[in-house]
Amino acid sequence: MSALNLKGVGHAYLGRTVLDGIDLTISRGEIMALVGPSGCGKSTLAHIAADLVEANAGQIARGYRRHGMIFQEPSLLPWATAEGNIAFSLKLAGVPRRQRAARIAETAERVALLPEDLRKFPVELSGGMKQRVAIARALAVQPDFIYFDEPFTALDVALRRRMQDLVIDTCAGGQLSGLFITHDLQEAARLADRIAVLDSHGRGVLGIRPFPSAPAERTDTTNFEWVQSTLGNDPLFRHIHDVDERQIT
Amino acid sequence: MTTRRHVSLPERLADRIGRVLEFLWSGWAGIAAMCLLAAVWQAGHEAYGSFILTSPVETLQAAGALSADPRAWIIAFTTLQRAVTGFALAALLGGGLGIVAGYSPATMRLASPLVTVILGVPPIAWIVLAMIWFGGSDATVRTVILIAALPVVFLGAARGILTRDRGLDRMAQAFGAGPLRRFVSVGLRQTTTTLFPGLALALGTSFKVAVMAELLANAGGIGGALADARTNLDIADALAWVIVSVALLIAVEYTLIYPVKGELDRWRRAAQPWGIKR
Ligand SMILES: Nc1ncnc2c1ncn2[C@@H]1O[C@H](COP(=O)(O)OP(=O)(O)OP(=O)(O)O)[C@@H](O)[C@H]1O
Ligand SMILES: [Mg+2]
Repeated sequence: MSALNLKGVGHAYLGRTVLDGIDLTISRGEIMALVGPSGCGKSTLAHIAADLVEANAGQIARGYRRHGMIFQEPSLLPWATAEGNIAFSLKLAGVPRRQRAARIAETAERVALLPEDLRKFPVELSGGMKQRVAIARALAVQPDFIYFDEPFTALDVALRRRMQDLVIDTCAGGQLSGLFITHDLQEAARLADRIAVLDSHGRGVLGIRPFPSAPAERTDTTNFEWVQSTLGNDPLFRHIHDVDERQIT
Repeated sequence: MTTRRHVSLPERLADRIGRVLEFLWSGWAGIAAMCLLAAVWQAGHEAYGSFILTSPVETLQAAGALSADPRAWIIAFTTLQRAVTGFALAALLGGGLGIVAGYSPATMRLASPLVTVILGVPPIAWIVLAMIWFGGSDATVRTVILIAALPVVFLGAARGILTRDRGLDRMAQAFGAGPLRRFVSVGLRQTTTTLFPGLALALGTSFKVAVMAELLANAGGIGGALADARTNLDIADALAWVIVSVALLIAVEYTLIYPVKGELDRWRRAAQPWGIKR
């Protein structure tokens, strides 16, 4: 059974269709990148797949045990410290109180959060730190599927690379599958196994392209060449950098 | 929250002591304001004489005499008990209804005209009605308090739920929290922002309305004592009772409302740099 299988999924907000006829299958141990112009319904699709929003049409089959989610905004509890925010997901996952501190410390280190930052409230953290807390919150519950909704946008180049490496390493064992929403083809080329392009009006997945090698084997040069050649030659990617198709058409 | 578990006890203690000291320091402003008030009062006394306005010192002496009198303590306790129970009723009912209305638009649509009506009826009318229904008893005073304090609590609670960050609800749901869990850990916590100002207002209203209802319904308590002072034209006694009721309100506010609020607002204080704390 695949980790996630969407068939004919559609959704409308207040009568306005934003998604229609989406078919997407993510295998176990696979990271699927999802790209598309802003406002085409990527976040909505992730929310539907994670059962936060009910789809108007279609079937959703989830083959994973537990998911984690990193939202486009950090969505941290303002009244809890960084540590408390990470503990929140652990508590919901039913991790016993005694084990939480160790899990928090371990995950915080993976996302390069210092122990003193863990004592701070979200208002005292920078944008990138908040996003890293959100990443730690998702990783701490040791999910086997993660929804990434443009998670690294608030990070600087070095940290972003480090977080991408974290995803690559975590997935290398084949333990983790995920849907990785991004607007950055270079990022998709670094860590995804396949890349899906969503129609700019949310009318279906236009196409899916596999990457030629495993993420760990790729180099910056091969990634750069892949991005250049797809942008130049592949008609699938022609519209993905359009700003807001809705406003033009 | 689990977080505090990881902060060592001395540190927590230091944090608490720091907050208390800061609070005491802010008391200077309060004392200065009180002295100003006393000065104006003294000027009024010197202009009009003791019969119209007793001096602050005389009033304090009268209040001191009251504090030595066990019967006065019983009177004050009666009012305190009525005000606090009335407030608790208003807080529970108003808070509960407000939360329901915050989640359910239909309830909100039904409740808001009712709140407007309740706010529009003068409190004195409720006192008359309550007197007819319950006579000069605790129930009269509590009913009037309930009606007077309910709308602010209701609106505070409803507003808190309505203006909550839905992203947090979604986040909690994504990590597997059911509706009840989401309400307890995310929804309820967010209401406090608007609920607490409402509660503080309601508590003040409770004391004022309690004294007023007691006076008009001849129900004893501080209101009854004020009525006696009026009959005897005893200004010092009347003012002393006013001081007692204000002191009761302040005592309750600082033992009931502020400690909870301080605990809930720790994160807000974290955002403020030193020196501009209120
Ligand atoms: N709660 C909502 N109510 C009504 N319309 C919504 C809601 N959320 C999203 N939409 C609409 O649905 C469409 C898709 O939104 P979505 O957030 O899924 O886009 P996206 O692909 O994630 O965009 P971006 O790349 O900018 O994050 C947009 O046109 C948006 O206006
Ligand atoms: Mg989005």
